Amino acid sequence: MMQPQVVVHSLAYLTRAAGMTMYVSLAGIALGMAIGFVVCLARLSANYGLARAGGFYVSFFRGVPLLVQLLFIYYFLAEFGVDVPAMAAAIGGLGMASGAYQAEILRGALNAVPSGQAEAATALGFSRAEIWRRILLPQALRISVPSLINEFTLLLKASSLVSVVGIAELTRVSMNIASSTYRPLEAYLGAAAFYLAINLCLAGLGNLAERRLAAGSLQ
Amino acid sequence: MMKFDAYSLTRRDMLRTGLIGAASAGAWLSGLGAALADDTLADVKKRGELVIATEMQFPPFDISDNGTYKGVDRDLIDEVVKELGVKVKYLDLPWTSILPGLEAKKFDICIAPVTITKERMQRYLFTVPIADATAALMKRANDASIAKPEDIAGKTVGGQKGTSQLAQLKAFAAKLPKPVEVKEYVDNNQSYADLAAGRIDASVNSFPNLAYAAAQRADTFAVVTPAFGTPTYFSWVGRLDDKALIDAVNAAILKTEEDGRMAKIQKTWFGQSFDLPKTVPEPQL
Repeated sequence: MMQPQVVVHSLAYLTRAAGMTMYVSLAGIALGMAIGFVVCLARLSANYGLARAGGFYVSFFRGVPLLVQLLFIYYFLAEFGVDVPAMAAAIGGLGMASGAYQAEILRGALNAVPSGQAEAATALGFSRAEIWRRILLPQALRISVPSLINEFTLLLKASSLVSVVGIAELTRVSMNIASSTYRPLEAYLGAAAFYLAINLCLAGLGNLAERRLAAGSLQ
Repeated sequence: MMKFDAYSLTRRDMLRTGLIGAASAGAWLSGLGAALADDTLADVKKRGELVIATEMQFPPFDISDNGTYKGVDRDLIDEVVKELGVKVKYLDLPWTSILPGLEAKKFDICIAPVTITKERMQRYLFTVPIADATAALMKRANDASIAKPEDIAGKTVGGQKGTSQLAQLKAFAAKLPKPVEVKEYVDNNQSYADLAAGRIDASVNSFPNLAYAAAQRADTFAVVTPAFGTPTYFSWVGRLDDKALIDAVNAAILKTEEDGRMAKIQKTWFGQSFDLPKTVPEPQL
């Protein structure tokens, strides 16, 4: 009883939606990386205020559901005359939420580098910048890759939520197809195939990154 | 002259200053919001574009066919903006985002069909009816046990949560000799899917929606006639303070009814044409 022609007929529509999903997700990941890096540094800072601010950021954006954040940015701010465009709300929402997770991933990875290494480097006369650039960051990056890829695949799937601000991403479009054709199974299977393909690519890139960063490691 | 030493500010002072600053910024921003609220019709004419929102998952009213917006609402709004002399921009939003978006002024008017009810009239301004919204039932085409609406007694019926049609079903079921099990779904399409899969015995929705669904999958679905509900209508909705815009839209809709354009749209999507009330009817529900 399956009618694969439903997916075939809507293939261009689904492909465009998959492109939109990839676009908002990649932009969200990039924004999240920048935010995550800054927030992580703030949390590790010796300055009490900065460390608390970083901690507050993480608790807030991890603690409030992404759907609520998106609705807040798009509809609530408009009540105060701040009209955030849909695309900015979508990417901003994804990026700010992902930033909180990425900050914690990075912080965990930095903490996993034995503190004796930085102490030894200081004793050998390395400057603070050099210690970060040559000792802490390369190792932290290597340690964080599996968790980061995990976070990216989660974000890709969470990007289905941006339809609440009117972005025609993959899940939304598959629902549109299901409702206009009365063939939900075919439409959702089509969307699932796209998600799987994109996430397999992400995982492949993750493996590649892990292998490249493994150069010079003891294992 | 007042002596002011910034370094003597305590933490509490700073917090207080911050709060006052935030509050005044908030007041300024909300003032700005109110200033923008003036007259939507004048705004629309000035920018030369009416921004509408609907959920493109409500055939035959709103359909997204391979990415192209189609349906009764699309055909009708295209005629309405011709009368207003402006262009139109369509937004596709989930139903749960549409009414908040209307209040947040993210668009000018909602053209998703909204059933006119007393409760909703307190909060939104309705246009004149654009279609019949009387509740009816749909069954599996091969199910001979349901021939008239009353035959759902003792069976399971599904419908979309929060809709007026589901409320009508519950009122109807209460009067039947045997209890009806009512299953609530996030949207009608899940109710149709469960009907096809045999998990429920009938789906409730407005008559035009069901007639279209049954025509699309005639091997699977059939409409149970007659419609059982109280006669109700679908309208579009605007913000309560946008009377000028809604009046202009009403005039345009009535014009399409007079010159036969409405009948043509109805024939295309419902297979027949019918008359609609010329004013917003007093809601029965």
